[in-house]
Amino acid sequence: MVALKLIPHLLSWAGILLVLLRGYSERRSVVMKTSITGFTGGVAGAIILFRTFPETIPFGSIKTALAVSFFLLWVFSVAAVYSSTARRVPISRRGRFVNTSLCAGAVAFLAGMVAGAICTCRFPATASNTLTFIVLVLAAGALAYALVFCVRIIERLLPPSFTVSPSGMLIAVVAFLLFSSSSILRLDLFSPLSMKVMKGIHDFVHQFMESILIPDHLFVRSVVWKYIGILFSKGVGFWGGMVIWFTPAFLIVLAVNFERLPSVAHIRQGAQRRKLLAAAIKARRHRLVIPLLSVVILAAAAYQSSFPSTEYWDPKPIPISANQSGEIIIPKKGEVNLEDGKLHKYLFKQGDREARFFIMVTPEGQLTVDLDACAICKPDGYGQAEGSVICYYCKTLIPLETVGKPGGCNPVPVVFSVKGDNVAINGMTLINTWGSTVQATTRVKEGGK
Amino acid sequence: MKRLFRALFTAGSSRAVPPLVIGFFFLFYIGVAFFTDETLITLMAFTRNSFVLALILALIPLNSVFRLVGETSRFMLMRSTMSGKNKEGLVDIFDEVVEIPVSATVPNLENRLAAVGYKTCRTGNVLAAWRGINSFPVRLFFLVGTFCIFTGILITTTSRSSLREMVVEGEPLPTPDGSGGIVERITLANSSGLILSRNLTMKVTPAVPGSKSREFGLYPPSRYGGAFVYPRYLGLALYLRFTAPDMPAGADTHCFLNVYPPGKEDNVVIPGSPYRVIFSIPEPETGSDRYISYMSDTITFGFKLLKGNDVLFSGSVPGGGEFVRDGFRLALPDVRRLVVTDLIYDNGVLFIWWSALLFCVAAALWLPIRVFSPRREMLFRFDHGVMTACSLAEGRSRKHAGVFHEMLDMIDAGKAGEE
Repeated sequence: MVALKLIPHLLSWAGILLVLLRGYSERRSVVMKTSITGFTGGVAGAIILFRTFPETIPFGSIKTALAVSFFLLWVFSVAAVYSSTARRVPISRRGRFVNTSLCAGAVAFLAGMVAGAICTCRFPATASNTLTFIVLVLAAGALAYALVFCVRIIERLLPPSFTVSPSGMLIAVVAFLLFSSSSILRLDLFSPLSMKVMKGIHDFVHQFMESILIPDHLFVRSVVWKYIGILFSKGVGFWGGMVIWFTPAFLIVLAVNFERLPSVAHIRQGAQRRKLLAAAIKARRHRLVIPLLSVVILAAAAYQSSFPSTEYWDPKPIPISANQSGEIIIPKKGEVNLEDGKLHKYLFKQGDREARFFIMVTPEGQLTVDLDACAICKPDGYGQAEGSVICYYCKTLIPLETVGKPGGCNPVPVVFSVKGDNVAINGMTLINTWGSTVQATTRVKEGGK
Repeated sequence: MKRLFRALFTAGSSRAVPPLVIGFFFLFYIGVAFFTDETLITLMAFTRNSFVLALILALIPLNSVFRLVGETSRFMLMRSTMSGKNKEGLVDIFDEVVEIPVSATVPNLENRLAAVGYKTCRTGNVLAAWRGINSFPVRLFFLVGTFCIFTGILITTTSRSSLREMVVEGEPLPTPDGSGGIVERITLANSSGLILSRNLTMKVTPAVPGSKSREFGLYPPSRYGGAFVYPRYLGLALYLRFTAPDMPAGADTHCFLNVYPPGKEDNVVIPGSPYRVIFSIPEPETGSDRYISYMSDTITFGFKLLKGNDVLFSGSVPGGGEFVRDGFRLALPDVRRLVVTDLIYDNGVLFIWWSALLFCVAAALWLPIRVFSPRREMLFRFDHGVMTACSLAEGRSRKHAGVFHEMLDMIDAGKAGEE
């Protein structure tokens, strides 16, 4: 079953290989060798990291590599548009360097390495026994070998006029890597990006309105304020994230589209001029295929990120009440086993006020009691999956190791004590903590001031 | 030295400067985001306190100025080239430049060019042809707009200061030097504007005898003593008199209440006593404006009287009236409207407003020009048996190139005179 789950990741790597083989059509052997070496190195390196360090380090490293590649993609796409719209573009050393064996090898190696590391995140590396693990690696290796064989055949079947520009190669490589990582919750970039964009836009709009002295909402028409409110809504994060996600691909499409046609003014035969221009336009259209295909792959990655197939552990909150001294007492091992590593939600009501919280034991064995809400987002609550809890509002993943620590989108910790085999929480403290943090965030997120 | 200046100008006027600077600040933003949730505010504070960061941000307006100079000189050069006065640097100002050996003088291309919609002008051995509207003014607007917005951001980020004050009817306008005139009247009225639903006016009598009284509205905010008067929230100023059975002498106090919008509570501690009064403005009847009490100056407060944390009783008391019960007396002899106002010292705001205007003008001009009538130019210069032909198009370049090539073919074939 795990081997089947590896197929999309291996296909992504195969896609990368195919694009690189076509992009570096004169350096096929270098690309092939370095890519396979990189992939194997990535798998081995990630296994070592997972076996040596806590999970946050390998996941963090791979995610950082993906983020850096996405940032580089942005830089290159802006540079590509800049170059193609400049009046005079000197033939740069950069262009010559891109076509060297060194560059081809480096790109193929790095892309292969990250692709291999992403694949490894699918292995149950720490949980499985050695034999299962070896069988799995062998099965994955066989699959990879078969794919490499197919890629070589497909690449040879492509027409020679089908070329790939350097920026086209880059967008395809990054798109495949992002697609591959989007199915692994802790490597996904799109959801955290959307969340950061949402917060960034909230900040920016607020500061902008203050900067240009826009009157407060009580003076503004409610219809107008509703439009401004869109900028404070949850959707703005998703759509802003989409803009950032797809812009590099569209910039590269534009860059290819803006490429100047060759000067044919010196040719006096009209037919020859037209033939040359037609050939240049055809080549330009071919160079558009890969960036446009990358848009589709990026869309698939964004979809996979927005609608993950992962099912979150999200138990219905258990209603609970305080004793006469105002304390909520929950046994560690009663109807619910609080030490089973899962989060357990409770709902505490006092008069017309209520508070939702959860109790869990972190991987380090620390018991923690937290509000089912953070200090930033609307209190949509948390679910648990793959070594983390997720904030349903902004889709931020909080590693289990950091649950119980305050700040950012972490669940707000609640003061508690352990009395024998019970967990004791002060009901008033709980209600007040909920009131002071959660209700404030609700107002802010609904566009109020 | 000249070469150094030229190199500096080329670097300073490069189109790469704004994306590089913005990219730098974006990276900085990402870095700051790792450490705090107040990312933008922190970044602004860093920029305010760091000369280097401010200098980096200043590169963008500087670049705009360089580009303005560059664009203007290029435009002037183009004009002098088209009029035949300049024959240098053609490769730098045209898209295509080609030389064709010819044996005659400049052939007659005017008829053909006129037939395809080009205007022509022959000056000696130079024939210039053009059609469409030059986008140079649009680029000027855009560059001046870019200069303004980044200058505004720079000034705002590095030098803005603000002072929050209570502007109360009948009191002097609270300026830092105390030179404000008396706030004669604060008026809130409904507005039929597209954006604003209400108008707020603060009428201030002249501070210096002989000068005119002034009115401060909502948008754009007016300036007073160098500061923008930026009304933020509405409130009320109270003079409150309270007596209780255990304090027959009573107590008087002045206070500001932040009780708008209706329903919001604010409390007043009675000085030297355990008593506290929580005031609120009740929601008006359905169909009435939420701020009708503020508009009409007919204000009835809902209140709760507390002793420590115990609520003794609640009730309502009109502005100018009193409430008496069980030996307690709460009187509000004086209620005045107030506006919580920020006095903003920031000259960057003006630049930002101007930039918005300039960008709107640039966009409104660029789109129709680019879509309907982009500039296309050709130049044919005959010199010592060589025809130098140049072409430039800001849009519809394929069609323009077709006409250009046709002209070149005509010159080459010597058919021009027959047309």
